[in-house]
Amino acid sequence: MPNSNVNIISVIESKLKDKVQIQPGQLGTAAIATTNGLHREVIQTLLDADEKTAITSITGLDLGANLGLLYHIRTSNAFVTIRAEVPRESPKIQTITDIMPGAVFHELEVADLFGIVFEGHPSPGHFVLSDNWPEGVYPLRKDVNPYDVKLNPSKDVITQPSDGKQVKIVLGPQHPALLEPEKFVVTVDGETVTRVDPRVGYVHRGIEKATESRTFLQDVYLVERICGICNSIHACSFVETVEKILKIEVPQRAKYLRVIALELNRLHSHLLTLGHAGLEIGYETLFQYFWRDREPIMDLIELTSGNRVYSSLMTVGGVRRDIKEEDIPKIKATLTDLRKKLPFYRQVYEDEPSLKMRMKNVGVLKREDAIKLSVVGPVARGSGYDIDVRKDEPYEAYGEIPFKEIVYTQGDTWARMNVRMDEVEESINIIEYAIDNLPPGPFRVKAPRVVPAGEAVNRVEAPRGELFYYVKSNGTAMPERVKVRTPTYANIPAFLKTAIGESIADVPSNFVSLDPCFSCTDR
Amino acid sequence: MSKKTRIPPMLKRAVSHIFTKPVTTKYPFVKPTLPADFRGQQVFDINLCVSCGLCSRDCPAKAIEMVVIDGKRRPQFKLDSCIFCYQCAESCPRNAIKSSVFYELATTDKSSLVLKPQASVERRASPQ
Repeated sequence: MPNSNVNIISVIESKLKDKVQIQPGQLGTAAIATTNGLHREVIQTLLDADEKTAITSITGLDLGANLGLLYHIRTSNAFVTIRAEVPRESPKIQTITDIMPGAVFHELEVADLFGIVFEGHPSPGHFVLSDNWPEGVYPLRKDVNPYDVKLNPSKDVITQPSDGKQVKIVLGPQHPALLEPEKFVVTVDGETVTRVDPRVGYVHRGIEKATESRTFLQDVYLVERICGICNSIHACSFVETVEKILKIEVPQRAKYLRVIALELNRLHSHLLTLGHAGLEIGYETLFQYFWRDREPIMDLIELTSGNRVYSSLMTVGGVRRDIKEEDIPKIKATLTDLRKKLPFYRQVYEDEPSLKMRMKNVGVLKREDAIKLSVVGPVARGSGYDIDVRKDEPYEAYGEIPFKEIVYTQGDTWARMNVRMDEVEESINIIEYAIDNLPPGPFRVKAPRVVPAGEAVNRVEAPRGELFYYVKSNGTAMPERVKVRTPTYANIPAFLKTAIGESIADVPSNFVSLDPCFSCTDR
Repeated sequence: MSKKTRIPPMLKRAVSHIFTKPVTTKYPFVKPTLPADFRGQQVFDINLCVSCGLCSRDCPAKAIEMVVIDGKRRPQFKLDSCIFCYQCAESCPRNAIKSSVFYELATTDKSSLVLKPQASVERRASPQ
């Protein structure tokens, strides 16, 4: 029966001992090597053993004669990687979307970038690459040089006529309500949404491929630019992964300084979304007020890192600059100022009738659906699905800092926004605690530039949810493979689920409550 | 809703703002004060340079090109490619690259964004 305290490894050992090879301590809690077809059995075993089993990502690998697949599965107390291999000549593997619906987009991405065919996938086709991408060219395979790819001439898209009463409304790629390029074809019956077809990849930059031709040192700055808003967390996750391969322990002071940078990032990201939600529902006063109060936080980032947006603080082995003693009073004063403003915003979210009408009971995502679709971050926590990497698998100094995990159970847009509102306060507490308890000592250690052969996975809690990194090194100064799974990529299924059956007018407010970031999604 | 009519919190706040000073600054006329170690335009000191080329090798944006000046290799900064991460300053063994608080780099002439090593002690435009 589902039990959150079960030892996942012993369960797999007892059920599938003679069929799979368990490597404890590798790539998370354990790596499980399977032969073709058995990966489904392992996932089914995990699903039966723990109710919070969900998929984090699928990583494709080019191993030469074979193509590798890594299924990264999280349970309530473990993180398991399932290895599978398919021959390069006929890369076919059975889909897992029937037992784990959250894997739909992950499989589409691997299919696009590695050419692995997932047999039985419900909606095969291009998802990340453009429609005029040449057949048989899979960009993340090692034999493909992205500069040699010749795109096919693009064809006019023929929009199918709507059948009967159903009308198709195309939101995007350029749309006033969605600020970044992505497309959702929404089918409506009257005013009710009956179907949503997503399409991303309009600004896909191939950062995962680009990391392979740059040194680890340069990659820190490259992955930082995956997302402008949560840049610190991307850099932090990458350097943590590299530190795991290098087996370096970061000084205690660096851990606290990283936490301060990450929480400043979370603060301004959450304030941005809380304001942006006001803009989407036509409440521009709220938007202006939130963004006004976000500005002092940006100034703090500038003060501590030297730049307003890109902090460039993280480096392998620590942080690049220390916090100055004379800046601490200013940081504390700004945070106290922000804390004083929060009750007003809470009251607005509680009392304002127009906000309640646009947000309460809109886009309700039930807890079981949230787990089934493997959503992350505030979207999961707004539905009562209590996952927070900072608590589940503490990294940096989070294990030593007391803070609350915010969980709401309503599952609607209002709950998701209030998770963020409460997390703003928690972030302020964390920064204040970290500053008060900043340990003395060095803030970085010297790290070698050449990383020994090895691989590692890492999970961190970005403002939008669990951010996942996989890095494989082949013993040179450049990585062999870097895989990034950003939180928005995991959260899109939640929007597809909750938009159906609701009014077309609620699409923007529902969508913005995911805090979507397509710069992240299209790496 | 309670029977007693209450003034919505937002309306109260909005009205009270009529009597406060604006939070926006009159930017081109009033300049913000920046922290002293702000990562603005680089200041390169040619006298300290030992021509090792580490800055150029480590630059993630490939914005530094080593050019030969008076028979020695010196870094030439292309600020239009620069991402202002200051890895170059960190890699430099002689601290020849320093930061400045000069940030107003917008221009209609891209060639003015190339910092030639001989003239690089001068900023492109005066900060004041």
